[in-house]
Parts: sequence; structure tokens; C-alpha cells
Amino acid sequence: MATLVIMPRQGQSVESCIITEWKKKKGDRVEIGDVLFTYETDKASFEEAAKIEGTLLEILADEGDIVPVLSPVCIIGEPGEDISTLLAEHGANEVPKEENAPTAVQPLEAPAAQTVAPSEGTAVDVASLKISPRARRLAEKTGADLSQVIPTGPNGRVIERDVQRLLDLGLTMAAAAKAALAPIPEHAVTHQEVPQPAAPASANEAEYRDVNISAVRRVIAKSMHASLSTMAQLTLNASFDATKLLAIRATLKERAETLGLPNITLNDMILFAVSRTILSHPDLNAHYLEEEGVIRQFTSVNLGIAVDTERGLLVPTLFGAEKLSLAELSAKAKELISAAQKGSISPDLLRGASFTVTNLGALGIESFTPVINPPQTGILGVCNITRRVKEVDGKDVFYPAMGLSLTFDHRALDGAPAARFLRDLCTNLENFDLLLAK
Amino acid sequence: MPKSQPIYPEQAFRPDVIRFTDIPVCQYNKTLEEEKKNYTKDDFMRIYHDMRTIREFEHMLNEVKTKGAYGGIEYNYPGPAHLSIGQEASAVGQAFPLDINDLSFGSHRSHGEIIARGLVAIHKLPENELYDIMKNFLGGRILSIVEKHMPADNIKKLAQNFLLYGALAEVFARSTGFNLGLGGSMHCFFIPFGLMPNNAIVGGSAPIAVGAALYKRCNGKPGIVIANIGDGALGRGSVLEAMNFASMDQFTKLWGMDGKYSDKGLPILFNIFNNIYGMGGQTWGETAGYGYAARLGAGFTPTQMHSERVNGYDPLAVIDAVSRKKQILLEGKGPALLDIVTYRVSGHSPSDSSSYRSQEEIDAWIAADPIAAFRKKLVEGSIATEDEFDAIDEMIVRRTEEIMRLATNDEISPRMDLDKEPDAIANLMFSNQKVPSFDTTRKPDMLMPKDEVPRVKEIKNKVRSALDKDGKPVPKMKLYNIRDGIFEPVIDKLYEDPTLIIYGEDNRDWGGAFGVYKKMTEAVPYHRFFNAPISEAAIVGSAVGYAMCGGRVIVELMYADFMGCAGDEIFNQLAKWQAMSAGILKMPVVLRVSVGSKYGAQHSQDWTALVAHIPGLKVVFPATPADAKGLMTAALNGTDPVIFFESQRIYDLGEEFLPGGVPEGYYEIKIGEPDIKRPGKDITILSIGAALYRVLKAADMLKEKYNISAEVIDARSIVPFDYTKVIESVKKTGRILIVGDACERNSVMKDMAANIADLAFDYLDAPPVALGSRNWITPAHEYEEYFFPYPEAIIDCIHERILPLEGHVPTHDFTDVAKTERLRRGV
Repeated sequence: MATLVIMPRQGQSVESCIITEWKKKKGDRVEIGDVLFTYETDKASFEEAAKIEGTLLEILADEGDIVPVLSPVCIIGEPGEDISTLLAEHGANEVPKEENAPTAVQPLEAPAAQTVAPSEGTAVDVASLKISPRARRLAEKTGADLSQVIPTGPNGRVIERDVQRLLDLGLTMAAAAKAALAPIPEHAVTHQEVPQPAAPASANEAEYRDVNISAVRRVIAKSMHASLSTMAQLTLNASFDATKLLAIRATLKERAETLGLPNITLNDMILFAVSRTILSHPDLNAHYLEEEGVIRQFTSVNLGIAVDTERGLLVPTLFGAEKLSLAELSAKAKELISAAQKGSISPDLLRGASFTVTNLGALGIESFTPVINPPQTGILGVCNITRRVKEVDGKDVFYPAMGLSLTFDHRALDGAPAARFLRDLCTNLENFDLLLAK
Repeated sequence: MPKSQPIYPEQAFRPDVIRFTDIPVCQYNKTLEEEKKNYTKDDFMRIYHDMRTIREFEHMLNEVKTKGAYGGIEYNYPGPAHLSIGQEASAVGQAFPLDINDLSFGSHRSHGEIIARGLVAIHKLPENELYDIMKNFLGGRILSIVEKHMPADNIKKLAQNFLLYGALAEVFARSTGFNLGLGGSMHCFFIPFGLMPNNAIVGGSAPIAVGAALYKRCNGKPGIVIANIGDGALGRGSVLEAMNFASMDQFTKLWGMDGKYSDKGLPILFNIFNNIYGMGGQTWGETAGYGYAARLGAGFTPTQMHSERVNGYDPLAVIDAVSRKKQILLEGKGPALLDIVTYRVSGHSPSDSSSYRSQEEIDAWIAADPIAAFRKKLVEGSIATEDEFDAIDEMIVRRTEEIMRLATNDEISPRMDLDKEPDAIANLMFSNQKVPSFDTTRKPDMLMPKDEVPRVKEIKNKVRSALDKDGKPVPKMKLYNIRDGIFEPVIDKLYEDPTLIIYGEDNRDWGGAFGVYKKMTEAVPYHRFFNAPISEAAIVGSAVGYAMCGGRVIVELMYADFMGCAGDEIFNQLAKWQAMSAGILKMPVVLRVSVGSKYGAQHSQDWTALVAHIPGLKVVFPATPADAKGLMTAALNGTDPVIFFESQRIYDLGEEFLPGGVPEGYYEIKIGEPDIKRPGKDITILSIGAALYRVLKAADMLKEKYNISAEVIDARSIVPFDYTKVIESVKKTGRILIVGDACERNSVMKDMAANIADLAFDYLDAPPVALGSRNWITPAHEYEEYFFPYPEAIIDCIHERILPLEGHVPTHDFTDVAKTERLRRGV
């Protein structure tokens, strides 16, 4: 019996996903576990594996289409099977219920379900969209990608806010895609009487390749740009003596197996130190919410961990870090980082951080200016370890110095409090044994 | 109602009988020999000449209509031709005793009256005055054509050519006609000769003529006014209203004011050219029961309107009667009524096959032809020879042919060039002038200095804002409200423009049903401020006539619902005469109507759409005291008819918007400018009239519950309406709801929605939506929230049709399904 494959819901906050690639073609044989297609939310990428075997009979959404969660994406069944009923049911979902027109004055059924429901399942066909002139105008002006729109206006009309949402998600048409949609008619070119200036050398097609900007990239781009264009960011650099930290780490590593500990990394230890330090500096464990006129100080430490993945930067959140032991924290962080790298992380875990730690130390970076993830007020950059000299008892002594770069939002707090946090953090890291004992 | 005239039971119940005096019927019996003492040969010959001129004019039109040619000139004239062949003696007889101070209003069948009165005026006017009239009329345009192409050896003959050419060019819709061809056959007139507009609505001239008589009476102008109507018009309510209005006791019993002002009756003659048929309906024996139309006079006044029936086929009998009536009217004993019995040999129009009358009947009347009979009488009485008459006939035929040639020549008599001047007619729809006073030579008649008027003194102590200095609501009794906003410009204008008169039902002692004129009565003499009978047609119609003569007038219909009773007067008269006269007439009339509430289906209707639909009317609907004052000031300074809507829901409200409250001094708001009452960014709500306050409440709810910021614009005016501000707002918000209290179908809101969709299409996030009242009868007050647009319905409508509101659960059904079903059912 033919079966509909629906777009899974990846977390409560996800309303729809973009199909990024079909791994199977219509008519292909599908075994259980075969990847059917890949898809992305605005924050992460996923693969959808077949849960039944059979033949891919119909594909209901193309690559690049936005598909609401729980909506049909494809049909798997046996060759020759009649899928018209399934298709009809699928089509019928689009027709608003009209037969139960309510009588006057009685409270009506909340129309959200029918008016907000997008045209389910199929690719959004821009040409057949009901779109308000104003929304169309905005889309044309901004290049918003209407093929990904979710209509929320009366009777499934795309209205201004729907286009605005595309823009908020960074879903605009790339220049190349735009050109593809609106090719210049040939005759218009051949009839040009004015000689065309020679194309600049850089425009030679062989010399570049257009890579479509992924949804994740768009989100990062938008978020980073918004961060730098709206905040008053500056970075403080400091370093601490990592002698003790390295020693403790060595011990832990040695004993890991016997104590049943996970592989605790330096990064885990820094996360741990941050979680134990930052609550005394509430303006940095906070969100700066200008429109609401508040700085929201969190009572718990939700650490964002910047993870470099194939799709780009992802920042999973380690909730309640201050309550975890070093071992628990380490295990949890590993889990998050792995999920992020695999692309299987729940979008719900990609939000809600109160402070972020990013680590470029392994790549030999000595200091940098991390970019805050809004509306957070700070981000700690962890740098590499260098050998430095300090005077001890009148003698020059070499020691391993680890760099820390703290970017903070000067709108939310001033330089001195930020420096105090950095100083306290360094002190705690230099005395990590005491911190563990606390 | 005046307290000066108490009526007690013993008086009301006193036994009595109503006595009538005999009404003369065709009693004129003077012989020619007797009349020779009263008329010179020239008089007799002029009477013949004038009748014959009319006959030839009508004959020409009949030939053109039925044969497409006259005098060898082919011409296709598709327009109306209601000819008066047979009625010439009546027209000429009436004109004979009149002069240019006497104003006559006619009907669709008035070519004869134009020619007759014109020829008499030409005869009576000194040559220099006559020439000046022609030279000054439309910048001498018609005169120069006539001087060039139909020169004459004297001014009088030139003037006759001028009259006939101007009239025919008007009939043929030439831009060289008396009204640039915009009046045409049924509406031709020429004020300098005392010829006021003729009217294509049967009986339409009766109430208008009453207004002209009112103008003469209130402003002390010489002459009488004649309403020329047909016997068919006696079935029209507006005519009976006009007769009753003209007969009011107050002219003689109250207006005298202890000898200070005139106590004369209205100088108006209702003149019935009784040709026995109202189109095809026979008024004598079929469609009426009065028998002799002269009987009607006995129904209106104890004087029986000095009514009599006269043989309209004998010009001398008509002259005799009209002369006597004119004398009576000049003595202040009006009104008067004449039943001039005549016959139109020609059909109602050239398409009339006379299926309603026998050929024998027509032949009998042709045999009694008044022109032939008069000629025979003069020949037999040795006044003139056949040859003399033949010479007159020949001259008239030649002249008529020449006029026909001239008036059909496209070079000499071009039509308006609407290709070159596409706005030529548009520019005539409103006069748009500012005339603070229509007579600056006189001091307005008032009974006390302005600052002593009780109402003025009362307003002085009122607070001109809804909130006091501390932001607390001002108590009702101390609050300057919308009534005061309307009153202030009115009292100012009474002291500025001596021609301003004010009337309507219950205006004077009551102060208007809703108290707008309260405590004003003591200050204004009767002839400027009086109670009208419950005669909406006569109230509006007379205002039209008053304004046509050059006076300013405010009339009130109490409830907007009563506009239906004055339908013709508002839609066809008040609205049209400025343009139909090619801008010669001004129409400074303010018609106040009040939109009720709580009073059910016939007293709670907003009929803005009806008047907004009719070209030529300005329409305003202020909703605040400052706007009421500003718009009334503008209406009273202007020269155009303004329908001034008021709402009974909000008369008591103070000024909530204008900083500093309602200005104390002169304050004028340009008609046509909407006003942003509250700025916003997410949706525009345009309100009409009293709906403003419910819209503001809805805007509050939108803000509080859904964080939607609504920009609220008060239309204030409906016609004209400058969309600039609204379109700017819509460009910003992308959404608009238009709300008013009128039933939604074909409402002003719908019209505005369509215009906004036209003008701002590319900026819209949703179609402009109109929300009015349901297409029902207005139910009792207790159900009003189901009928009028209340804030909850406004929000539901926005949610369903414009911008779904998160979590909103509507209680009104604005879905497509419900809407389609309501439209299908016509409800």
C-alpha cells in the first residue's frame, strides 16, 4: 500500500523545512534506511531515511521548496499502484473548509488553521500564489524568495508579513537564481545597436563558480551582520597562566578510564570555569532587549558552544551549565557538538543561550574579536597557548599562557565590569583545583 | 407654535361654516371695441407678431423633428422638443403685462414663454439698457454672432434676433446658446429678461418659484414671481406643498413684527397652463377630480388664491387676468392662482401618436386656432389688413429660417469642444467661489446686537475642549459641543450677510428639533428665520429658488431620512442648476440633515450615498465641534450647495482632538480635506461621521490586544474629497478599512474603497474593505450593535478580511462564504 512520507517536525519551534537535495529520483527503488532527501531548518540540516521499502512513486516537493512540517513530501509504494486517492487527499487539504459556514454571532472557529495553513506539501508555485500587491512589491524590491513563502493572509493570501518573514530568514533569491528566473530574451540582446563593451576579464565564466547560499549560511550572515550593525561591540584580551590547568587536565586524562570519566578537554574546563564565574557578572549572562527596555539577566548559565560544521557555524546550547559537574558538562558538550556536526541536532537546542564560548585555539589563533550572538551581551573567545616569560623571585620563568578574547556589548555594560569578569575568569582558571573543590 | 397665538378649545370648537366665494370661469367678455381703449394698434400687432413668432419657432422644430429639415435646411436634432402649438395666446397674454422685475419659471414646454416674455422685455426696455444686456451677456458672445450674421436696422430688431438665436442655439446644444447648450430645450432661460429656469420635472418650478417669491419678500425686491406649470403638475405633491408654503399665515400675521417689517403675502402667481392633458393622461375627466383646476385655490387660503379660470385661446382675456393678479400680488395679497385653459395641438412630443384623443377633438381645436382667430378679429375690427398680417408672417418665416441656418452652422454655432477642453463641463459643476455676503450694501435685519444674543452669551461661558486644564472631562452643561460648533458660524453669518435666511421644520421657537438654533429666536426677525410647514419638497425647492435669485439660505430637514420627501428638489434641482445654467446661477444653499439613532427604520439612516451619487452636490459630515464649525463656515462662505450631515449620537460631544479646543474666532476648514485624528502605522481606518468614535475604540482595542497601531482618519467631507492624505497613509500601512454608519451596499465607504484600490493598488496588502451597517432596516436601539459597525465588528472585519490577528476569535462572520451568501440574498 502506498504511503505518504511527511516532513518530520524537528523541534517545537520549527514550522517548515527546506528540501535541500533529493537523494532518490521518482521511480527509484528504496530500501529501509536509504536516505530519501536532505532538508534544513533555518538552523540545521537533516537527512530523511526511508522507513519502509518500495518504489518512490511521487515526489511532492522539489529541491528548494519550503515544506511545512507534517506535510507530505513523497509517496512510496509498489510500481503501478493507484496513488490518486492519496494525491487527492493531499490536494483536498488545500481547500478551506466551506461547508461549515458558521451562523452569525456565535463564536467562530479560530481561523488560524485554515487561513494560516500554507499550500501544503507541494512546492510553492509562485505564479499561482495569491499575493497582495504590497507583499509582491516588497518581494520584488528585496528579492525575497517567494517560492519559500508561507501565506498567512485571509484565504491563503501572501501578505506583507509573510514576505517580511522570508527576509528575516534571509530567504532571498541569489543573483544567479534571479537571472535564471528572468532570462533576458534573446532578441532583446541581438537587437542591441550599441556595441557592447568588452566584458571585464573577471567576468569570465571559467574563473568562478556560483555556490548557492545555504539556509544556514543565510542565517549566520544575517545574524552576524545584525550583530555588528546594531551593537556596540569591543573586545578585551587577556591571558592566564595555564600551568595548573594543563596539569589537572593531564591527570584527568590519565585517570579517565579508571575513573570512568569522559575525555575532558581544555575547552570543557573553560566552559566549566565560565559557568562558575559568570553568575557573579549578571550583565554578561544576559540578553539586551532594547525594544522591551530591559536587560534580561539569567539565573542559570545557558552556554552557547560555537561549533564549526560542514554547513557552517552552529551554536548548540548547554542549558543549566552551572549545575553540572565537570564530567557531566564534558559529556553533554560532546553530545551537542557531535549532533551539531552531524546535522542531527534539534533546532530547539540551537537557541536560548545566555552567553557563548568560541574556541579557535586549536587553529593557532592568538587573539581575535568574536562576534556576539544577539541578543546576548558577550562572547568569550578562547585562543591558543603560547609560552611567555614572567618574573618569579627575580628570575625569568617560562610558563604556558592561554589567551582569552572577551567581546562585550558596551550598550549593556561598561569596560570595567567586563574586565572584572575576565580577571575573575583568569583567576579561576589559574586556580582550577580550587574551583573544582567549590 | 408661537406663544403669541394661543389657541383655546372654545375657539377650536366654535360652530361655524366655511364659506366660499364664486370662482370665475372664463368670464372675460370684453369686445374688441371696448379693448381698443386699452390697446394701441401697435399693441395688437405685437400680440399677433409674438404669437406668430412662437408658432413659427415651434413649427420649425416640428419640421426638423418629423422631416429632418426646415426651410430647405436639413438638420438632425435628436433632443427633446415639447412643442406648444396652440398655446401661443396663453404665453403671449401672460407676458404682456410683465416686466423684467417679474420672474417667471416654466416647464418642459416653455419655448413659447421664453419667446413671449423675451419679446415683451425687448419692447419695454430702453435701447441702451437692452444693448448693454446683450453686450454683457457671456461677454457679448451671442451679440457678436447676431450683429455679424443677422444685423438689423435697429436695436429692438437686433435684440429679437438675439433672443431667437440664443434660444435656438440652446435647444440645439450649441456653445453659443443662452446656457452654452447645457440646458437645452427643456431648460432654456435668460435671466436678464426675467426668464428664470424652465424645468423638465413636471411641477418642478412650483417650489422653486416660491423660493424666488421668498427672495423678493425677504429682501424687499420689486416685481412678482410666476410659476408656470401644467395641469398635469397638479398631481405632484411638491406643487401642492409649494401652494401651501406660499399660503402660510405667518407672512401676514407674524412677519410684520409690530409694524417694523413688511406683512405682505408672497408675491407669487401659480399659473396653470391647462392644456387638459398630462402627457396622455386627461386631467379633466380621468386623472384628477377637481374638474376646473381653478377650484384648487379654494383649498389653500380664505382668499381662494384669487383663483379664476381664463380662456387661454384669447390673448386679451389672459392679459386681463394676469394684469389683475399682478396688481393683487403687488398689493401684498398673494398668493394667486390662474387656470389658463388652452390646448396643445401638437403632441406631447413629436413621437406622440395622440392615441389618447380623437382626430375630431384635435380638428375642433385647430379650427379654434387662437392666432387665426385673433387675426380675423383684428381684420374684422379694422385694426389691420390681411396684407399687413401677411407681411408680418413673411418676415417671421424669413427670420426663423435665418436663425435656423445660423444655429445649425457648426462654424458660427460650434458645440463645446470637449476634445480640446475635456474639463469644460467638469469646471461648471461647482462655482467654488467665496462670497462672504451676497449684499454688502445693506445692514442685516437683526433684533439685537450680536453679543446680546442669549445663545452667544451662553457659549461665552462654555469650555471649548472636551477636557479641562487638568485633563478632566468638562461637565455636559459647560461643554462647547457640536451644536455650538454649528451655531457659531450661523449666527456670525446672520450678522454678515443680509440675504441669509434660515428655515425648516420647527426651527424658530423650538430652536430646531435638536437644539442647534436654541436661544437664537429672540435675535432674528421672522423673515430671516421661520418655521416651514412639513413640506420637505417645498423647503428644499424654495431654497433652490431663493439661491437662484442671489440669496443665501440654510434649510433643515430634521432627519436625513426625510430627504426622500425632497428627492427631486435635492437630486434634480439643487444639484443641477449651476451646471445647467453654465455657471450663470449660483447655489449658496446649506441643507442640514441629521442622522438619527434609537428611532428605528425611518429615522436612523445615513443617506450620504444618495447625495454623494448625484453630481453637483457637496457633502460633508463633521464629527467634532471644531470640524462642524470649520465646515459650516466654509459652507456658508461658498456658492455651492452643501448637504451638511449631522449625527444625533454626537451632538453633545466636546472637542477631543484640536489642541486648544474649538477656536473662538473665525475658523474655516476647506471642504474636501480629511483629517488624521490619530496617527498609526499598521492599518488605516477611514471613518465617516459619527463612526469615528467607535473606530477610535476599535483602534484602542487593536493596540491593547494585538499590538496593532491603527491610523484613524476622519473623512469629514465626502464630496469633494482629497484622497492625498488617505493614499499616503495607505502607502505607509498597506491596509485600509473604511467605516461608516450607512448601509454598506453602494455606500460611500464602498466607493472610497474602490477609489483607494485604484489609486494605491501596488501598495496594498489586502483589498480596501468597507464596513457599513447591515443591509437591513435599522432595528430598535436595543439591537443596534448588530446593525451598526461597533468596535468588535470592526476588529472581526480586519481579522477576517485584511490582517489575521493572532489568537483572535471573531464573533461576526465576515468569511467569503457568508459574504457571498448575503450578497446572493440581497441582504
